[in-house]
Amino acid sequence: MTFLSKHRVFLVLSILSVFLLAACAAPAAPAAPAEAPAAQPTEAPAEAPAPAAGPTTLRVTFAWPTFIDPAVGNDFSSSSSLINLYDTLVFPSPDGGIVPWLAESWDVSDDGLSYTFHLKQGVKFHDGSELTASDVVYSFNRLKGIGEGFAYMLADAESAEAVDDYTVTITLGKPSGLFLPSLLRLFIVNEDLVRANTAAEGPYGENGDYGKEWLLTHDAGSGPYKVKEFQLEEYLLMEKNEDWWGEFAPNAPDEIRFIGTTEAATIRTLMANRELEISDQWQTVQALEALDEIEGVDIAALPTMTEFYFMINTKIPPTDDVHCRRAMAWAFDYDTAVGLEWPGTRQSQGPVPASLGGHNPDVFVFHRDLEKAKEELAQCKYADEIENYPVEIHWVSEVPDEEKFALLFQSNMAEIGIPVKVVSIPWLSMVENTSSMETSPHIATIYVSSDLPEAGTMLFQRYHSSTANQWLQNEWLLDEEFDARIEDALATVDQEERFAKYYELQDYIAELAPSLFIYDQAEKHAYQSYVDWPALRGEMSAVMGYYFFGPQIQVNPH
Amino acid sequence: MRTLTFIARRAFHAIFVLLGLSIVIFIIARIMPGDPARVAVGARAPEWVVEQLREQMHLNDPLPIQYYYWLTDALHGDFGISLVTRRNVADDIREFFPASLELAFTSLLITAVLGIGLGTLSARHKDKFIDNVVRVISYMGVVTPSFVFAILFLLLFGYVLDLFPTIGRLSEGVPRPPTVTGFMTIDSLLAGNFTALFDALHHLILPAMALAMGTMAQEARITRASMSENLTKDYIAAIRAFGVPERTVMGRFLLKPSLIATISIMGLDFAGGLANAFLVELIFVWPGLSRYGMNAILRKDLNAISAVILVLGVVFIVVNIIVDLVVARLDPRIGLRAARSD
Repeated sequence: MTFLSKHRVFLVLSILSVFLLAACAAPAAPAAPAEAPAAQPTEAPAEAPAPAAGPTTLRVTFAWPTFIDPAVGNDFSSSSSLINLYDTLVFPSPDGGIVPWLAESWDVSDDGLSYTFHLKQGVKFHDGSELTASDVVYSFNRLKGIGEGFAYMLADAESAEAVDDYTVTITLGKPSGLFLPSLLRLFIVNEDLVRANTAAEGPYGENGDYGKEWLLTHDAGSGPYKVKEFQLEEYLLMEKNEDWWGEFAPNAPDEIRFIGTTEAATIRTLMANRELEISDQWQTVQALEALDEIEGVDIAALPTMTEFYFMINTKIPPTDDVHCRRAMAWAFDYDTAVGLEWPGTRQSQGPVPASLGGHNPDVFVFHRDLEKAKEELAQCKYADEIENYPVEIHWVSEVPDEEKFALLFQSNMAEIGIPVKVVSIPWLSMVENTSSMETSPHIATIYVSSDLPEAGTMLFQRYHSSTANQWLQNEWLLDEEFDARIEDALATVDQEERFAKYYELQDYIAELAPSLFIYDQAEKHAYQSYVDWPALRGEMSAVMGYYFFGPQIQVNPH
Repeated sequence: MRTLTFIARRAFHAIFVLLGLSIVIFIIARIMPGDPARVAVGARAPEWVVEQLREQMHLNDPLPIQYYYWLTDALHGDFGISLVTRRNVADDIREFFPASLELAFTSLLITAVLGIGLGTLSARHKDKFIDNVVRVISYMGVVTPSFVFAILFLLLFGYVLDLFPTIGRLSEGVPRPPTVTGFMTIDSLLAGNFTALFDALHHLILPAMALAMGTMAQEARITRASMSENLTKDYIAAIRAFGVPERTVMGRFLLKPSLIATISIMGLDFAGGLANAFLVELIFVWPGLSRYGMNAILRKDLNAISAVILVLGVVFIVVNIIVDLVVARLDPRIGLRAARSD
């Protein structure tokens, strides 16, 4: 290297350094959009820097990935996005019921197999075209044809047919009391737009790829918000659809930004800088305590349709004996377990969360009673040699908080002489192990969320034989009587009658004690006090994603 | 001509290295627990959907057949569909790799300037106060993981002092330049968008600093050690005896031969930083390849895992070749032939 070339290198390094220093010294001001509303105050309090002038934004963090294709996404962040981008035929009410939405009304045939929906007229998609019955039919066929996402929830629906532009009929294979609520997951896509962006080659025959690739980063909906920008792994930015047919609250955000992170240090910094309005639900109790100390930040504990279970394998010794299972249920210290969680968390009242329609408030609930635990253990056929039957409890290593519950269980069981081995296991291994009776552990600690706001859904997904080989059920109940009764309950169209059957089934499960019902999970979020969030007042539905329905949330001036 | 021959030879060797790497990764990815098709479509998807995906991904075929399909497609630039993002892995790599590369290059720049600078300073003031200060800084840098620096910088400069933006590659409201290279800085420059350019640089500083701290400390120690050793050599005494100014002695006659070890390590650190940046990328919500790779592993995204590791393998090989060329240029005694053993 010559002296001259060394100088060239020095020159290049100097220029780059100047750029870096310039970047340090002169942070760029975001460009103000043309339609910026009234300017923000120029003098902000020291503890709350003034946001740059521009549209009001609701910023929320989520665990990613997020799928905004309504036939693909079905997790928390995807659901929260889909409800803002798309409309559905019905909408969930805060009390667990269903109200008309795109469908202004509907008729049900006498045999309960045919539902005719009368659509609202004049609803526009984001591209300005009108939403009609053929779009509903296409959305139905697309969801069923792809088979992913929420398609399983419409398993009983066989076909959809457009009667005229504003009337559509959906036919079921068998009567189902859950059909109407399941329509919460049938998001209506713009048929023409999706067809125009469908790749000819794909796994769906003449439908090519069904527009899946395009819909990964674009929307084809009519919802209150539309995709403005989607940077995979970084954020999804949605802007208000001013032509939406519904009503926005006065200070509903102009934009919603879903940010892909759950890192505690990042969340804390963003909240403190007022660069984040609502945090994700995955922060630990310690992280929430730290967030709670930030001025202007509060913690919300919202009811959910999720319950934390110790799923007990009923087919291997010693937990195949109901008396051993009941002994465990009596010996566990529920109060201490609940105390390990955020204030507001409550012990589960039976096999389904109390937030679900059809929850039995009088179902039998175990509490800690060592005398009763010992009495039950004495009746267990393994009682005399219980020390030879160590019980393995597997907790999910990706959820560190679960360990303390497993250790508490170990400690409680030691008091009645049941040896317990605590095992940490990755989630994918848990999924694989619970798929076979031979590899399922004695106990798996798992959170399960109900698909729909009804007790029957949870009872089915937790204890029906068809889910025994899934992570949803480590119990391997395989109880034909239960299967028949839950199928019958779900097919009951009359709600009162259906709920009465749910009540009996919850008693039935409580009697068998196939699980320890630890607590109903509260969805914990840190939020800025300038956010008016109706969920805090119980005015939003607990159905997954609906706490983030943008038109009802207000980001007040701050 | 000699250089070209060297590059051709190393490229030829690289083919076998990558082939071996691809086989190892292919096997490791498939013995991880969990059915990737089931993980991708969820527990409640009907069996026919899972089976359809398994067929698409050839998961029902024996491993050698699967590998044959994968290799044939990969040679055509088709790495299959990612189960995490549901699109072509090649598209993902094109999107996420430049973001990581831009971060790693900035980190390299910081490492080079500060690492060599501190090392030189330390050697020049050996065993004096400055040397001791640099030593303490270096030890702290070496023993502290980059994610700790990331959290520290985030809280200190992003929150307490509020000097730097905390997440992403651009601030809210700053229009993105059209993607040409994928480097936000270069694309901003090409578009003549200086607001975006300075904003992108501003966003780069903290994550790049967090990544650079460990390598910078290491490079400073190595530079100091090499320079201290060379300082005792006869040729330095001779040059000083000729009355050459100390600045020229240090810069021209001492630094150049002392940089060989530093640059060799810096090359490996650069490639290593690219691969190991996932926690820094996670903390700063940086949409990079390392974070993408980590998500792929957690979700058993077979195609993405294989492609990411293959890309990182290529980076290691290319960086090694470049390091060999630079080292040969710095010290003609080493030459390209000697580098063959690398």
